[in-house]
Amino acid sequence: MNFHPGRAMTIARREYVTTVRRKAFLFSLLLTPAIFGLSTMMQVLGTQSAAKEALRVDSMAVVDSSGEFATAPRTLNYEVPALPGAKGGPAAPPEKRHTTIEFSPSVDSALAALRANRVQAVLVIPADYVGTGRLKRYKMKYNLISSADQRLTDRWLVGGLLHGRLDSLHAERAARPSHDVQVWTPDKSGVFELHDDKRDLLDIFVPLIFGMLLSIAIVTGGQYLLQGVSEEKESRILESLICTVSPSDLMVGKLVGLGGAGLTLVGAWLLMGSALAANAAVFMQFHPSILLLAFGLPFFLIGYLCYASLMCGIGAIASNLREAQQIALTFTMLNFVPMWAFWAIVAQPNAGTAVGLSMFPLTAPTAMMMRLAATNGGVPLWQVATSLAILATTAALAVFASSRIFRIGMLLYGKTPNLPEILRWVRQG
Amino acid sequence: MLNVQDVTKTYDGRAVVNRVSFAVEPGEIFALLGPNGAGKTTLIRMITDILKPDSGTITLDGRPVGGELKSLIAYLPEERGVYKRVKLVDAIAYFGELKGMSGRDARAAAVALLEAVDLSAHVDKQVMALSKGMQQKVQLCTALIGDPKLLILDEPFTGLDPINVQMFEDLLRARSATGTTIILSTHQMNKVEELCDRALMINRGHMVLYGSVPELRRRYGGHAVRVSGGGVPAGVPGVRAVESLNGGARLVLEESATPQGVLRALLERGVTVESYSPDEPPLEDVFVRVVKEGVGLDQGKSGPPTMEELHPLGAAR
Repeated sequence: MNFHPGRAMTIARREYVTTVRRKAFLFSLLLTPAIFGLSTMMQVLGTQSAAKEALRVDSMAVVDSSGEFATAPRTLNYEVPALPGAKGGPAAPPEKRHTTIEFSPSVDSALAALRANRVQAVLVIPADYVGTGRLKRYKMKYNLISSADQRLTDRWLVGGLLHGRLDSLHAERAARPSHDVQVWTPDKSGVFELHDDKRDLLDIFVPLIFGMLLSIAIVTGGQYLLQGVSEEKESRILESLICTVSPSDLMVGKLVGLGGAGLTLVGAWLLMGSALAANAAVFMQFHPSILLLAFGLPFFLIGYLCYASLMCGIGAIASNLREAQQIALTFTMLNFVPMWAFWAIVAQPNAGTAVGLSMFPLTAPTAMMMRLAATNGGVPLWQVATSLAILATTAALAVFASSRIFRIGMLLYGKTPNLPEILRWVRQG
Repeated sequence: MLNVQDVTKTYDGRAVVNRVSFAVEPGEIFALLGPNGAGKTTLIRMITDILKPDSGTITLDGRPVGGELKSLIAYLPEERGVYKRVKLVDAIAYFGELKGMSGRDARAAAVALLEAVDLSAHVDKQVMALSKGMQQKVQLCTALIGDPKLLILDEPFTGLDPINVQMFEDLLRARSATGTTIILSTHQMNKVEELCDRALMINRGHMVLYGSVPELRRRYGGHAVRVSGGGVPAGVPGVRAVESLNGGARLVLEESATPQGVLRALLERGVTVESYSPDEPPLEDVFVRVVKEGVGLDQGKSGPPTMEELHPLGAAR
């Protein structure tokens, strides 16, 4: 291998400086977290607001053909939790509401009231309800979020069925058997402590954030490489360059420089995120495990090397950037597969799906980060080592194959080679 | 000195470059000619160590090309590009750094080169802000930075106006005078005649012409002279035929006649001779004839012609 470290570092420095100075880089640096944060905030607030609105049922019409609810309560009292207040401020008290129940003689009259907005829901109880449990509900709008009022309906039904059969206190308890439940779970030393619900949020979001950041870092660096190689090939700069430097110098220089740019981007996001998270009490409870921190960098570096080498090879065989991006899409998507399997990994971080994804090289960095974060370092060490070994072997093969493809492909213009040709290049060099 | 010895490159069983040998002296401007698809680019890529030959050797000053020698060779490909979104000085200095110059030296050299090509007013402009011709000058500067010992230029004059062509030629002559070996690959035969000492022509991978440019022209000119001045009378000894030209005539000589003898005969007959020269066809005509007639490709033998069969003068050099 004709490799000159000095030239490779000159290339790396140039690639890094040119990339981080680009306006597009600065836009990514600042706008991506802003858009991500804003969209997340809008989504959370929107969902909470929609759920709260769904519980706003001032009146409900009931058409009871079963006769079971003739003596049921005509009002239903409940509380709606307040939206989260500003940091450090006192929590707002829950809002007290009540729903008035109006009995209608027929479905038609009840639906007329619903259309006129005199009631917000209609409940039709058929004659065989007790035997079948079948009901019909009518609402003007319905979706997964706005179904939150189903629990209210259930409470009223339970209250109605038990009315007169139990005293009001027991009837209320049967309708709402649990309230303000405290869950105790063991800490690391085995002592049971009060489980903090906010901690659940961390358990869900920290693996997601770590996995996502790692994926973005790997993909960003790789995409820079894909773009750089493809553009240089298209604009015919590569041929002048490889007269002066060897293909190995060029490839290594680009891998280092553009990987550094990707790492800078994600590092800056992490810093910005940390600064914001420091103000959120919930994140202060997160103490990442040594394992997570120790393996984060190697998984990034080797994962990046593997992915970026592939991008380098793809950039060299494609005729132009658009074609290169089309070919690269499959590999990029693979990198994000653990995101789609997020719930499976977080719910069972040491089960088959999670273990499988953390062993497959192209999904391993993201999946393993998510597992390590989800278990707070509780992944068996042998699995981490095996995953890293498979990833490193694949990365070495990818670098080897891509350097051969790169060397030949960058001189090939106007024609994209087929798979047998590419394999021949890899075999013959 | 660049020495290419018996170099062959085969793709899919077809010899794209077939046993090509030639040598280029330090300071020489050497033309590499051939029709499209002849194998010139493959040959250049082997000289620049972008491709490895299947057989044969390529040396520069006695050492195989590649490795540390890479920084001594510069190549301006025909299909060339330059970084667009960087300043001129940075685009050029980058190549200087790749050739081993320090950042400061590379920038100083880049500024000097930009002055030499009349772009000193644009040093800090982005390359994409320049016209195509100006960008071409920047590309030449990327090749010239670091004072390469061997400079290979593929169609360097394409797209340039006459003023800039002149500037390029002057630059190349100046480099040649300081010992830089220049290989010029072009289809502009007039430029070869103006600039180059010797030429190699390849066709379908085979060497088909090799020698000094005047010798190649003379070789394909036939036994004739061109004369301008007064009218040429009939019956001049040694002249087989007279072809009238604008302002003169082309005289086809008898086999036994010499140009000197015919000139003497013309003067003795009182013909006013303003100019008298051997009838050498332009290199372009030689090129067309060699390619059309397939010279050097079919000599009833297997394999390409040998150096001796091609041109004794070229082989002897």
